[in-house]
Amino acid sequence: MAAVIALKGVSIGYGADAPPVLAGLDLEVERGSFVAIVGPSGVGKSTLLRVVAGLHRQRAGTVVLNASERPQHRPFGLVFQDPRLLPWRRVERNVQLGLEGLPVGRAERQERARTALKLVRLEEYGTRWPYELSGGQRQRVGIARALAVDPDILLMDEPFGALDAITRRGLQDELKRIHRETGKTTLFVTHDIEEAVFLADRVLLLSGTPARVAQDLDTRNGTSAENVERIRAGLAGDYEI
Amino acid sequence: MSKRTAALLSAAGVIVFLLAWEGLGRSGIVPQRLLPSPSAVPATFIAEIKNGQWQAMVLASLSHYLSGLALGSFLGIAVGTAAALWPRFNAFQAGIVRMLRPIPAIAWIPFAIIWFGVSEASAAFLIALTVFWINYFAAYAAVASVDKDLIELGHAFGQGALIPRLFKIILPGALPGIFAGLRAGLGQGWMTVVAAELFGIPGVGMRMMEASGLLATHIVVLYMITIAVLYGISDFLFVRVQSRVLAWQR
Ligand SMILES: Nc1ncnc2c1ncn2[C@@H]1O[C@H](COP(=O)(O)OP(=O)(O)OP(=O)(O)O)[C@@H](O)[C@H]1O
Ligand SMILES: [Mg+2]
Repeated sequence: MAAVIALKGVSIGYGADAPPVLAGLDLEVERGSFVAIVGPSGVGKSTLLRVVAGLHRQRAGTVVLNASERPQHRPFGLVFQDPRLLPWRRVERNVQLGLEGLPVGRAERQERARTALKLVRLEEYGTRWPYELSGGQRQRVGIARALAVDPDILLMDEPFGALDAITRRGLQDELKRIHRETGKTTLFVTHDIEEAVFLADRVLLLSGTPARVAQDLDTRNGTSAENVERIRAGLAGDYEI
Repeated sequence: MSKRTAALLSAAGVIVFLLAWEGLGRSGIVPQRLLPSPSAVPATFIAEIKNGQWQAMVLASLSHYLSGLALGSFLGIAVGTAAALWPRFNAFQAGIVRMLRPIPAIAWIPFAIIWFGVSEASAAFLIALTVFWINYFAAYAAVASVDKDLIELGHAFGQGALIPRLFKIILPGALPGIFAGLRAGLGQGWMTVVAAELFGIPGVGMRMMEASGLLATHIVVLYMITIAVLYGISDFLFVRVQSRVLAWQR
């Protein structure tokens, strides 16, 4: 199967003189796979997603993307670590943001926003202002906004971090179902190893400065307790430094 | 303090102020000619309405005010926004701004009169100038401080090109600051109206100048109150519009 995302020797840093956050990173992601990325805080997980989404230029190396160009879709759907809603738009108009400028009529735009809001169980909240939502609800609106553009590649940065266990579980099932049904390539950052193993076919552990891929585990066939322990040990090792 | 209490206290303040003023006149401490008492104002008002002066002057002033305000606000917001958006343009205009900014609008009166004559256009020009700077700086600061994360959001969702970025992210984000500038301009604009008209451009200011030449101080007071009321109304209306438009703010 073709790689939909291919990074070769990628280095990334902020500012010209600062040491790189990621250096010489090689990563290939197969079409349709679900990849979880774990790693200690500050290692560069969000930065990696930003580079894949084309929001940050790499210093060196190449980023090749094979997302298909479909007229009524965007190649990426990005869920930020913070909800990042436009405070001057009501919830439904926030969800429609990515559809604007695409050849999608008004009625269809509204329909797609409604469907996306339903998926995150906020269909009743379309006409609210963002400030009228709880933190977790805002985060779910951010998820709906990414799903509404029906992207080839879903990039999710700790999307369920702010949610209670039950809502989180519900959305994990939902996401798993969406992935099964649509086959969207998904990059999913999380701090929760169980979540990573439950959702993903593949778990990457980033660690070190500059960060590299310290572990790359196949978790397709459920996973062994042993695998979980290896990731955990990897994370713990990093914290001891 | 409830809204009602605040309004009552504010009204009480105005009443005490007027009573003290009236008392000062009646007690004879200050001669009537130097300080006309407020009770003389209603009769003056009726007289000015009857001879048509009041309507004519207020209409003339309003027309200078509105055209100057519209022009100055629009250009101020446009140039301020452009400077905050494009570093090259910002650098280019920074020197010019530093040179022109400290010159108060009324210092331009001689040129206004040479260029436009003693006319509507002169007054509108001076008002536009005053309002321009206020809006320029407000818009510049507001646009420069728009959350960079929201601009990044726009890029991530296909709204990164200039037009969508400007109209969907930057201007809405800067709107509270831009409104603050507009509101300040609304007040400063009235001051410039009067200053410009003191030089003979027909309007409230000119009528005040005429009246003070005749020592008709009660007429001067009438028009002072007129300006205060006009400003009060325009500010009130503006705040209503603002709270509508910025309903998304908590
Ligand atoms: N805009 C920025 N300017 C300068 N440095 C930055 C910027 N954003 C992130 N960094 C630095 O880059 C490194 C990686 O940050 P990043 O946000 O990718 O971490 P992360 O792995 O997502 O962490 P977390 O789990 O806490 O979200 C950190 O050391 C951070 O300080
Ligand atoms: Mg992060």
